[in-house]
Amino acid sequence: MASRLERVRCGILTATTVLALASGAWAQDIKIGIPVGLSGANSVVAPSVVQSAELAAEEINAKGGIMGKKVSLEVADDGSGAAGAQKAFDSLIFQKKVNVLISMETSAARNAGLPIVTRGKTPFIYTSFYEGRSCNRYLYVNAWVPDQQVAPIVDYFAKNNKAKTFFLIGSDYAFGRGMLQFTRGYIEKKGGKVLGEEYLPMDGSDWTAIIGKLKAAKPDALITSTAGGAPNVTLTKQLRAAGINIPYGNLAVDEGTAKSMGPDAEGIFISGSYFTNIDSPKNKEFLAAMQKKFGADLKTPNDLSVPQYEGVYLYKAAVEKAGSTDADKVITALSTVSFEGPRGNIQMNKQRHAPLTMYLGQVQKDGSIKILESFKNVDPGAQCPKIK
Amino acid sequence: MAQLLDIVTTAAILYAVAAGLLIVFGVMKIINFAHGGFLTIGGYSALIVTWLGWNPWWSLPFALAIGMVCGAIVERLVMRPLYARPLDAILATWGLGIVVGQLITLEFGREVQFVRSPISGAMSILGESYSQYRLMLVMLAVALALGMGLVLNGTALGLRTRAVIMNENLARGLGINSGLVRFATFSIGSGLAALAGALITPLSSVDPNMGVPWLVNAFMLVLVSGMSLVSLAASCLVLGGAQVLVSTYGNPVAGGLTIVVLSALLLRFRPQGFARE
Repeated sequence: MASRLERVRCGILTATTVLALASGAWAQDIKIGIPVGLSGANSVVAPSVVQSAELAAEEINAKGGIMGKKVSLEVADDGSGAAGAQKAFDSLIFQKKVNVLISMETSAARNAGLPIVTRGKTPFIYTSFYEGRSCNRYLYVNAWVPDQQVAPIVDYFAKNNKAKTFFLIGSDYAFGRGMLQFTRGYIEKKGGKVLGEEYLPMDGSDWTAIIGKLKAAKPDALITSTAGGAPNVTLTKQLRAAGINIPYGNLAVDEGTAKSMGPDAEGIFISGSYFTNIDSPKNKEFLAAMQKKFGADLKTPNDLSVPQYEGVYLYKAAVEKAGSTDADKVITALSTVSFEGPRGNIQMNKQRHAPLTMYLGQVQKDGSIKILESFKNVDPGAQCPKIK
Repeated sequence: MAQLLDIVTTAAILYAVAAGLLIVFGVMKIINFAHGGFLTIGGYSALIVTWLGWNPWWSLPFALAIGMVCGAIVERLVMRPLYARPLDAILATWGLGIVVGQLITLEFGREVQFVRSPISGAMSILGESYSQYRLMLVMLAVALALGMGLVLNGTALGLRTRAVIMNENLARGLGINSGLVRFATFSIGSGLAALAGALITPLSSVDPNMGVPWLVNAFMLVLVSGMSLVSLAASCLVLGGAQVLVSTYGNPVAGGLTIVVLSALLLRFRPQGFARE
């Protein structure tokens, strides 16, 4: 009996020692927190975002980490919304004590997380395209804002299709309305006319009346900005079923969704900072490395996952330049460093945002995207004029 | 003119979606909150037909069959032990709807799926170019209504079902096996829900939550129509029409609320809704 107790004691002792050693080793790491929507609206795209971050961490660790320290990832589900984000940010910052947050999230989740970021004084690199003008001392953004995305589509329609009148359709939420408000302003600035601007709630699936109005208005071109996933699909299907065949620009469709939509997606114009067939050595290298690491489990890299990969490298560059992981020093350094990634050279030096090369593409019959034009270093505009 | 077509086709879709719920409500006096789950099962049945490479028309009988089998299993395992406790039964159907959604997520993933449509494109009617599929839905909904009417009014099962709807205790006293009627009704109701799920795939996305947006409207329509197929058709036309008109002349966001708000008001001032008595 005694010996058994002894053995148990001994076991506990060993276990605690191992744990202590292990946690000691972890404390040396540079921890990157990734709050992301593994469940909810973003669940389709979140796995590709996590994969990008895993590749970046693996590559960095293989070459000696950041200043000799190993990079480790802490992924937390934010449920794609505000409530989940509060929990995720709270546990990442105050319990896991991450050095930085790098992630793609919904606007609702980002807005809910920002006060926690301020309280925890943790740098936050946001890697999702969004409606713009989110400003915080600890926030940097390396993805596009409407100022960068809308112009290529509107200009292309005006030039190549002689479009003068436009019709706008969106989902009723921050991103949908923000994008279309900007689009309306841009069209009117360029001398075009908006014949209608219509919204359906995010969970709405019946576009009948809006399509009726669209047909009655007879515009030259159509631009939509729905929530990703289901609303995008129902709208596109119902537009095609109704025989709408005017030039159709979709601000919210990604390459993967376009591919799986099949014939309904053919001909849709999309604009973004990343498509898989960008013809650059860096992109080919990245795609090959992703393919090698994930094989059959690879989620197609996209405009939301590639900025995540670049975000990790930008953080690495900033820490190396600052010579420390100290939040204030890193924040100062972040705007001065750049990284040559799959999307080109990225530097977040414009009021916490990045000038980006934007591409206008059209969905082909086989679901692939043909790049029609590229626009070098499109400026994000005045996003955060008051930020220091 | 286009609006008239919008109204008729919207009513047809609503009718197809609500019909299964109505007959279950009529016989069992409970609202089947798993109805959205069965719609989803129908959508995924259509997806399986697409994967197998069959003609998309097969998705309709296939979804009906899958829905009936699932409904039969659920009736036997979940509903039957709860017949004496209607409130618990309603909660059970609600939970069941969640379980169905999760099982589908586990098997097929969360992402939006794509189903081939039997017909696509637009045709010219009454001087308008209009979606062929929506027009076909009208014919299918009418066929469905006539079929259900024939079964209820022209067969022995229909006669017994009507007896159970009117007075279950009396029907049992007359030797009608009301358990069997309930079993048949729940299976058929589930089958009809799955059929509707397959029918809406060309207009809707196929994802684990595809049934949810339809559930509330179907629920309200059934509440205002009492237990009659005719009044269900009337309420689909009137309330669906109101939805189209509010969306067109007002605001589509408000349009989404029309059916729910009007039904609530109607029930406040005319508790029997569209039913005659």
